Amino acid sequence: MPKIDVNEELFFELLGEKLDAAALEALLPVAKAELDGWDQSGPAADRVIKIELNDTNRPDLWSTAGLARQLRSWKRGVAPSYDFFSTEGAPKPAGFAIRVDRSVEAVRPFLAAFVVSGKAIVDAMLRDVIQTQEKLCWNFGRKRRSVSMGLYRIDLIKWPVRYHAVRPDAASFAPLAMDEPMDLARILKEHPKGKEFGFILDGCAVYPLLSGADDRILSFPPIINSNDLGAVQVGDHDLLVEFTGSDILALALSANIVACDFADSGYAIKPVRVDYDFDTPLGRSVVFPYYFQVPATVDAGRVSKLLGDSISPELMQASLLRMGMVSELHGQYVRAMPPPYRNDFLHAVDLVEDVMIGRGMDSFLPQRPHDFTIGRLTPIEQLSRQAKDLFVGLGYQEMIYNYLGSRKDYLQRMNLGEEGVVRISNPMTENYEIVRPSILPCLLQSEAVSSKAPYPHRIFEAGKVAFLDGKANYGTLTRQRLGFLSAHPAADFNEAASLMSAALYFLGHDYAVAEADDPRFIAGRQATLLLRGQPVGIFGELHPAVLANWGITMPTVGGEIDLDAFLA
Amino acid sequence: MEVQSLLRGLHPLEIKVLLYFAPGDVLSAARLITELAYVEGQANQAFAWLVAKQLAAETSRSSRLVYEVTPLGVSWLEQGSPEERIVKLLREQGALAMPAICQAIGMEQKDAGTAYGKLAKEGVVTMDAEKRVSLLDAHKALRSRLLRQILARAQAEGGLLEEASLVPEQLALLAEVAKKRGAADAPFRVADRETVLWSLLPAAAEVTAVLRAQGVSGDELGAITQDILESGSWKNVSFRTYNISSRPARLLPGRHNPYVQFLDSVKDKLVSLGFQEFDGGLVETEFWNGDALFMPQFHAARDIHDVYYVADPQRAKSIEEPYLSRVAATHENGGNTGSRGWRYGFDRDFTKRLVLRSQGTVLSARQLPTAEVPGKYFGIARCFRYDKVDATHLSDFYQTEGIVLGEDVSLRTLLGFLEMFAVEVAGAKEVKYVPGYFPFTEPSVEVHIKHPVLGWFELGGAGIFRPEVTEPLGVTVPVLAWGIGIDRMALMALGLNDIRELFSYDIDSVRLRRAGLVPGQPAVSAGKKE
Repeated sequence: MPKIDVNEELFFELLGEKLDAAALEALLPVAKAELDGWDQSGPAADRVIKIELNDTNRPDLWSTAGLARQLRSWKRGVAPSYDFFSTEGAPKPAGFAIRVDRSVEAVRPFLAAFVVSGKAIVDAMLRDVIQTQEKLCWNFGRKRRSVSMGLYRIDLIKWPVRYHAVRPDAASFAPLAMDEPMDLARILKEHPKGKEFGFILDGCAVYPLLSGADDRILSFPPIINSNDLGAVQVGDHDLLVEFTGSDILALALSANIVACDFADSGYAIKPVRVDYDFDTPLGRSVVFPYYFQVPATVDAGRVSKLLGDSISPELMQASLLRMGMVSELHGQYVRAMPPPYRNDFLHAVDLVEDVMIGRGMDSFLPQRPHDFTIGRLTPIEQLSRQAKDLFVGLGYQEMIYNYLGSRKDYLQRMNLGEEGVVRISNPMTENYEIVRPSILPCLLQSEAVSSKAPYPHRIFEAGKVAFLDGKANYGTLTRQRLGFLSAHPAADFNEAASLMSAALYFLGHDYAVAEADDPRFIAGRQATLLLRGQPVGIFGELHPAVLANWGITMPTVGGEIDLDAFLA
Repeated sequence: MEVQSLLRGLHPLEIKVLLYFAPGDVLSAARLITELAYVEGQANQAFAWLVAKQLAAETSRSSRLVYEVTPLGVSWLEQGSPEERIVKLLREQGALAMPAICQAIGMEQKDAGTAYGKLAKEGVVTMDAEKRVSLLDAHKALRSRLLRQILARAQAEGGLLEEASLVPEQLALLAEVAKKRGAADAPFRVADRETVLWSLLPAAAEVTAVLRAQGVSGDELGAITQDILESGSWKNVSFRTYNISSRPARLLPGRHNPYVQFLDSVKDKLVSLGFQEFDGGLVETEFWNGDALFMPQFHAARDIHDVYYVADPQRAKSIEEPYLSRVAATHENGGNTGSRGWRYGFDRDFTKRLVLRSQGTVLSARQLPTAEVPGKYFGIARCFRYDKVDATHLSDFYQTEGIVLGEDVSLRTLLGFLEMFAVEVAGAKEVKYVPGYFPFTEPSVEVHIKHPVLGWFELGGAGIFRPEVTEPLGVTVPVLAWGIGIDRMALMALGLNDIRELFSYDIDSVRLRRAGLVPGQPAVSAGKKE
């Protein structure tokens, strides 16, 4: 979930009023945002409010202007409006053009762009737009795969700009923060951004390039800008803002978000015409910023039913307005126009939520449910509780353990090999690499760390284990088991046998034992537990070699029974 | 009154001392042993108890040396010392080489060499040119004879010789053969012994007077045996009074684990609210873990869940139909759900990928195809996350999740349930709701509660399942979905502040842990070791 830094002065200027921490905290939920920190020392112009945004489908909120816009709409009940958007069949006149060459179609096909003008860029705005670029391209743009963004000083650009693809050795330029020209292949190998994002171009024979009419290079998308045209600083006046990627709607949305952010801060937005050499979902010639959204419609009755309150269509419209949306009534249907910076309406229920937030969470009163249903525990939980009560009565302390552990603890120390074990392919550390195939290693670990606790030690756990099973659809089985351990100077097989006898008697089952050959136990002092002829458990004296692996010097017996087998 | 409570705490060992001796008598362990027939431990115990009750005090303390026969010394007495055995062997068999001597009497070369050296010095034995040892004059073995005398006397006197009782000649030999440490290979252990002299204090006279007045003899009945009850002999004796405030011995009872008890109490609470429990396997597919919850295979929303992948096998054999086809279509273009979908090519290979369950909501989705309407279901599910383990994160932990299906359930009934959980499960007095975000619910809310101790915190998240989740799984009524975080309450109920402690390996810390099982109430106090 994105966390952003908001410049206090810029934020309150855009919001149109100054709030204290309590008022801000109370207002933030309408943007699904939380106050994460606000250091109010230092000069106001430098103070930063830290905010966490929870909605991953609302990238428009991940900037100072965007967040302020939503809060302002909600407080004032006014949807913002912008006059620079082209729509299908109604392009705005564009003073700038970018040609997209067929050569990028297979590499990184789409581009959207606009020009920012009217006043010089200030420090707070530059910081904010760099943060927007990061959050948009990382979270929403899938680490620049589907969206990357670049800013350029327009006075150095010769129009029309060309977006095309060239062989990795066919172009070189000095990338940002470097003086020396490098070819594209070398940038991927040596520049920090090349190393970080080069994976996006894995397997491509040609790489995308943005260059001016004079062939000066603006950037190598999605990797790095040039060190001259692409180095934007405080005080620069007119800027080209450009987005490339694999999803043209995601690019159009990103362009709209950033354009609205600049517009809210008092900059003029000038359209850019992008001419494609190939067909795109938006046509061959698109003027950006481009309003591509389609109206979202919901049955007013459905809104009331889902929210559990009878809400008039007029109140719905007013609520949507506070979420930045103008709407119309068509009979029982509410038809809403998503604002240009939002594209999170997949289903009518998405409008329902906006009505909920727009109307205000506090206006919905909790209602006691009236459907009658019968509650019950699962059969295995009931059986486990019965078994646990028995073991407690038999003097055992119940334990509970984590299920992930190391190869060393779960296998090597247990004298076991790797066959049949559920192993993780991407473990964070070797300490959490295996799903436990048995409860016994956990119990032995307890004994190993508890030699100072007064003896006898009698412990057990009822919990899950997992192991491979070739017949199962998932190739694995999860079972509920009960494992026990008894450690004290006189612990022996007979004690374990008596315990099993008592437990099985009270669980109401006749059982038999058979010779077992388990390397965890001493040969001839271990038994397989049979229920209706099927093996359902094992118990016996832990092998001294296993005890030595754990550093245990107290005689120890233990065992494990499969509770699921008792339900079969 | 003070004397009375003192009297009840007196042990027969103390009573007899009080009755037999008077303040001012010079007492010692030795005196109690001879005059009251105590063993040394009883004598010391009686002294210690009386001192603690301020009825006796130490008058002097001096230390002396004692020589104690070791097991080796005892065996020398019985089987002969190495020197004696060599003399005996040579007398019987004539001259022998050292190795033959060692072999014949089962002695290490080093020990036999030492013994030979001492005998040779005394002129008892000699070694010839062929390195054979022969007997010269057995009568000159004064050293062995003296050692045997000392050993025999020590044995007769209970294994202990006082330094003061020995003549210089004996002391000289003991200085040679007795050891302070590592005495296992010496016949005597030399030790410092303290002689403590003490006497009863004047205050004891008062107590003694009361004992006499009450006719207490110290021979009162202690433990009541079966014999005493069967014979009826108890009728003729009085019962010794016990010190009821002495610290009782610790028991090691069988007990439920306090954290499991806490989880079980939450389950019981949810069952009492009409919820049926569900459960499932630890290994899941991407399909159920994310796709069925309408989380797009590519989307950043999946970054929320950093998932563990199973190494082998990597994929399930198949995904249940018709759910796979319906979910795939819903992702691609909305299918029949009225959604526009995520608009991408659904990867039917990726969806089979095996993972460790990363969120409890998976079990809610799995319940949908067979859920009844109306229906309420819940589960406390072990989940796995790619997280660095620390005081607030575990690689595997529990999530508590559930669903409510009904023709008429709504946001307001959802709030009603959340309020019920807040009050019934968490013991909250104040509740508030704010809009939330979860990929699988719309609308979504978070519930925050004001806890008497913790203050405001997020109890859980909830919402109404998106139609893109419910309809492909065959459910057409609204489904409320909720999850509550109970770990913080569990920690507080158990008096802990590190989440790793919930799954502690330490037997004693679990054995001694107390739990406040009333929801929202803290533990009585943190467990203390005795």
